Amino acid sequence: MAAPAGKVARGWSVLALGLRSAVPRLPGLTQVRWSRYSPEYRDPQTDKEYYRKPLAELTEEEKCEQELRKTQLIKAAPAAKTSSVFEDPVISKFINMMMKGGNKVLARSLMTQTLEAVKRKQFEKYHAASAEEQATIERNPYTIFHQALKNCEPVIGLVPILRGGHFYQVPVPLPARRRRFLAMKWMITECREKKHRRTLMPEKLSHELLEAFHNQGPVIKKKHDMHKMAEANRALAHYRWW
Amino acid sequence: MLKRVTRLVPRACQLDPGHFLHGGPQAPQSLAARLDDQVPDENPRAGSHPSEDDPVRTFNEACLMVRRPALELLRHLDDTNFAHPAVRYVLYGEKGTGKTLSLCHVVHFCAKRDWLIVHVPDAHLWVKSSRGLLRSAYSRRRFDQPVEAANWLKSFKTANERFLSQIKIQETYMWNKRESTEKGRPLGEVVEQGLTRVKNATDAVGIVLKELKSQSCSGAFRLLVAVDGVNALWGRTTLKREDKSLMAPEELALVHSLRKMVRNDWHGGAVVLALSQTGSLFTPRMACLPQELLGKEGFDALDPFVPILVSNYSPEEFESCIQYYLENSWLQHEKAHTEEGKKELLFLSDANPGQLERLCAYL
Repeated sequence: MAAPAGKVARGWSVLALGLRSAVPRLPGLTQVRWSRYSPEYRDPQTDKEYYRKPLAELTEEEKCEQELRKTQLIKAAPAAKTSSVFEDPVISKFINMMMKGGNKVLARSLMTQTLEAVKRKQFEKYHAASAEEQATIERNPYTIFHQALKNCEPVIGLVPILRGGHFYQVPVPLPARRRRFLAMKWMITECREKKHRRTLMPEKLSHELLEAFHNQGPVIKKKHDMHKMAEANRALAHYRWW
Repeated sequence: MLKRVTRLVPRACQLDPGHFLHGGPQAPQSLAARLDDQVPDENPRAGSHPSEDDPVRTFNEACLMVRRPALELLRHLDDTNFAHPAVRYVLYGEKGTGKTLSLCHVVHFCAKRDWLIVHVPDAHLWVKSSRGLLRSAYSRRRFDQPVEAANWLKSFKTANERFLSQIKIQETYMWNKRESTEKGRPLGEVVEQGLTRVKNATDAVGIVLKELKSQSCSGAFRLLVAVDGVNALWGRTTLKREDKSLMAPEELALVHSLRKMVRNDWHGGAVVLALSQTGSLFTPRMACLPQELLGKEGFDALDPFVPILVSNYSPEEFESCIQYYLENSWLQHEKAHTEEGKKELLFLSDANPGQLERLCAYL
């Protein structure tokens, strides 16, 4: 993904470089999220298979690219990105969102405890169930996690648009990354705020993930509420101009 | 601390079928009782360590991997001469290598052969954070711990039901002005007294240990004393006296009786001990050798003993462990089935059983 140019001058909108979000930029504001790398820096390649391919199997394109990488500038890989086979970008993103005060160690351990808790609950259910039901019970915590987040993603969202001095909530289609972000955000907020103070995060999270996996629970309800509001405000849809 | 039980590996042809330790959820009761003993009390705030309380509940079975240190110990136990003083075996090693589970294996082996088992799952719990400390009625200098003593008596009773009616005590014990246990009554009555009158529980423990020690020489039964975290008996405590000064372990009646039990002045059984740095107080994290953990006093008290080193998994044991997890579908991640995944697990855990278990828990 090409990073936008480092410093954007005051008063110059970033329309030329591609809008990051659908929210309209007012003049006089600069892009908040930008990278220190200039555009010629390329992303690091952490896939071990890429480097293990023998020379004979490479196509012309790939050979060209490898030659290019020898001279081009490459960004530093972040500390959390590894070449491990067990790495999952969705889980990494979720861990980053759960992190508070830069305590990645704690966030990661909470995530691993959650996955373990999900696994154990499913194993208990598995052993208590009859033979036909055992085939339907999913025991892989990663599939449960991915499916639960997919179930929580809203299809349509609401955006405040200023018209005639009032802000109206206008229904708008959401890009994929916004949907994923909202699903994760709702999940984490639900677990942090709506539960009893003394229960631990892995316990709360594993319970919520399992409910979301079965399309039940408060996060799914929030998604449905969002859809209903969008349906109710259908008349304002023409306020959207993109 | 209870680690994950791992699978049985038939180690060459030395194993006879009696050693297969594959228990269902109903049987063996004694092993399940001992596995439950080692679980720290259910505490809703104990979130720092994930709940690995019940492999029986998760897998519907309890399995142990048969490994070289345990086999060595079992061979020694088979060859013991019961006329000689009790030999003390000390299991030591790095953190997470399997000392506690080797101890469990030995206890199971002896239980199967009808020995009388005196098993202390974690001696560190006796010297830490005890709620009810009472001045001992028997000796003014020492302190009683009714809660820990009562728990221990309960598990002792479950483990050795049959012997409690067979063994008769050899002295009369006066609990207070009204209650006493006469000479010749079965040992079960002393245990009952300790369980019903919790104030006398520590004294009951002391009496039980004393009687067992004196009667083991008679040959009516074989006695196995198994203590995990034995370095607690000679370490330091975090318990305070009334004037807020820290206590020494000798001032605890339970520790005092247990120290007498692991001396080698009796015969007719064996003493198997395991060191543990994990629950110990005021010991450096890297300490794993007997000299470092027991200190001068403890080492001299236990000298001479047979040291048995428990180390990380060998390549075959590692492979066997992974196979067990794959068969039970504990490793659910699709990449864990591949060669790449196994190599990565080996690298990350360095073949340390405890670390491997923690890794596989969330994969």
